[in-house]
Amino acid sequence: MKPELSVKLGKVELKNPLMTASGTCGYGEELSGYFDVGMIGAIVTKSLTLKPKIGNEPPRVAEVSSGMLNSIGLANIGVRRFIEEKLPLLEKLNALVIANIAAKRAEDYAELAELLAGKESVRAVELNLSCPNVKEGGMEFGTDVKALSTIVKMVRKVFGRTIIVKLTPNVTRISDFARAAEAEGADAVTVANTYVGMAIDIYTRRPKLHTVRGGLSGPAIRPLTMAKVFEVSKSVQIPVVASGGVFAWQDVVEYIIAGATAVEIGTVLFAKPDAPVEMVKGISEYLADSHFGSIAELRGSLDVNLQNVPHMNRG
Amino acid sequence: MPTTSFLETVTVIETREVAKGTFVTKVKAPSIARNVKAGQFVMVSFPESTDPLLPRAFSVCDAFEDSVSLLYVAVGKGTRRISKLLPGDPMVFNGPLGKGFPNMSGQKTFHVVVGGSGAALIPILDRTAKSRGASINFYYGARTGSQLVKFDGVENVNHATDDGSEGFHGNVVELLKKKIDGDSSGVVFACGPTPMLVALQREVGVSVETYLSVETPMACGMGLCQGCPVRNAGDGDYYLACKDGPVFRSTEISFEMKP
Ligand SMILES: Cc1cc2nc3c(=O)[nH]c(=O)nc-3n(C[C@H](O)[C@H](O)[C@H](O)COP(=O)(O)OP(=O)(O)OC[C@H]3O[C@@H](n4cnc5c(N)ncnc54)[C@H](O)[C@@H]3O)c2cc1C
Ligand SMILES: Cc1cc2nc3c(=O)[nH]c(=O)nc-3n(C[C@H](O)[C@H](O)[C@H](O)COP(=O)(O)O)c2cc1C
Ligand code: FES
Repeated sequence: MKPELSVKLGKVELKNPLMTASGTCGYGEELSGYFDVGMIGAIVTKSLTLKPKIGNEPPRVAEVSSGMLNSIGLANIGVRRFIEEKLPLLEKLNALVIANIAAKRAEDYAELAELLAGKESVRAVELNLSCPNVKEGGMEFGTDVKALSTIVKMVRKVFGRTIIVKLTPNVTRISDFARAAEAEGADAVTVANTYVGMAIDIYTRRPKLHTVRGGLSGPAIRPLTMAKVFEVSKSVQIPVVASGGVFAWQDVVEYIIAGATAVEIGTVLFAKPDAPVEMVKGISEYLADSHFGSIAELRGSLDVNLQNVPHMNRG
Repeated sequence: MPTTSFLETVTVIETREVAKGTFVTKVKAPSIARNVKAGQFVMVSFPESTDPLLPRAFSVCDAFEDSVSLLYVAVGKGTRRISKLLPGDPMVFNGPLGKGFPNMSGQKTFHVVVGGSGAALIPILDRTAKSRGASINFYYGARTGSQLVKFDGVENVNHATDDGSEGFHGNVVELLKKKIDGDSSGVVFACGPTPMLVALQREVGVSVETYLSVETPMACGMGLCQGCPVRNAGDGDYYLACKDGPVFRSTEISFEMKP
């Protein structure tokens, strides 16, 4: 029998646990030449802001060992042009659309969510409270539990469908933030955005990014994010979406065992834009071979004695 | 939409060292070979590799029947790895990507200015010019003569070297200016180090129709990441080098990255 791959985030059902990560798939349509974007659980858009943003000066990207640093600065066409130009294309491609939004002020998050609430095909919003590269990315919000609570509360009032809160890993205890999001009515949390990082060209003695520091993504961060996904999934009831360093289907399975309900794939798309196709196949075969009937059976199935985990049992 | 791009597993046919530290690798890549235009590029990655992780951009150097060639200077992780592949070894090519040079017509004279790995464009532009009956001259600069690649069957190549060991003693932009001597009727195409492009833009682009192929760092090459901005000279907004370029009219863009 074919294993059941579908998962739920709040009220929205994804046909499989794979989602694209914001900022690594354009507006989704760019990937459609490489695979059928309707086959993936969800397409998460680039962070949308109220007004278009041109982004940071170059260089914006640099490769490091098994990872990359980026400092895009939320370059995007703005929510209104997204709704007019990109959303119809995604609808035509039968994609399940999740809009990622970013802002400088709590009111702006609410305004963005309200605009998107009017579009039925936007099945969920993901609040970027975690971009390390600009003020708009809300990293200040993401590192302040009270601010995070305010934003989630305001968005909850205007957006009835699924709200996912994307957390920053650049805090001491990420589970405090996940709990705050849950308390304000978020339907899921994404763990996590990129880690603040830096690299230097030793010959010119210049930083490799114009903004000096940027966000680290790619396989290099997977063990770091794995630990956070495990921590958060033990401290909230709502689903956890894992995001960090997935390169192959085995990594998706690992995150689900650690407690994730869905998994975002980002940086790997740059080298393998059709990666989701093989991943869905790999996960399905793994479940069948290991006699799991569904993703739900595998989720959080880590064979572990929590007494062995320092910090975890202090409540 | 990238409807004309292919994700192709290619196999190496041969690799030759064509000048000191410079290699040409020829691969079997039928879909890309049949669809590529001069000035377009491919993103090259290695299956199963997380280091290097990101694909590398290379201009297509030549495309003939089923094969595509790349010309590169082995400077880092990606290029050294490609140079060591053996015949039959696989790589993944994503392409052709970007907008190439404008179509060449028989009416005009084309002046192509290249430096360093920008020489990759000589064979494909020569082949295109010949098929269109356009007249074409190349101006090819390097630090020293041993770095210059010789291309079989390509005529009208004028060399410039910084040390004077071969051809014109001086930089390639000076050489071009000397040759065209104020005649602004031709079209200039260029690809090479950013300082060369900046000089061309300033000293030639104002009077002669000039197109520059720019190199910015790129993570994806297909519009996914917003990693490759090139400043629009008009409104100060950004183009994306991978989708809107890498070839731009020199009056359209302004350079802001320190070379
Ligand atoms: C549109 C486009 C077309 C391109 N076409 C070609 C091409 O036809 N042939 C080609 O060789 N390259 C080309 N490049 C550059 C290419 O993508 C790689 O950046 C370059 O080949 C180095 O890759 P690497 O993995 O070997 O070096 P990396 O491991 O990425 O870099 C190693 C070190 O070398 C430095 N470095 C990078 N490039 C150079 C350079 N050119 N000279 C000196 N030092 C350098 C880096 O800053 C780094 O410190 C193109 C780039 C773009 C954007
Ligand atoms: C180039 C780039 C741009 C990104 N832009 C955004 C963004 O706009 N909004 C956001 O919430 N996350 C953004 N991210 C973070 C990713 O969505 C993802 O959480 C992170 O890269 C970790 O996953 P990965 O290792 O699979 O890439 C970006 C990441 C990269 C590499
Ligand atoms: S390289 Fe990713 S958008 Fe151009």
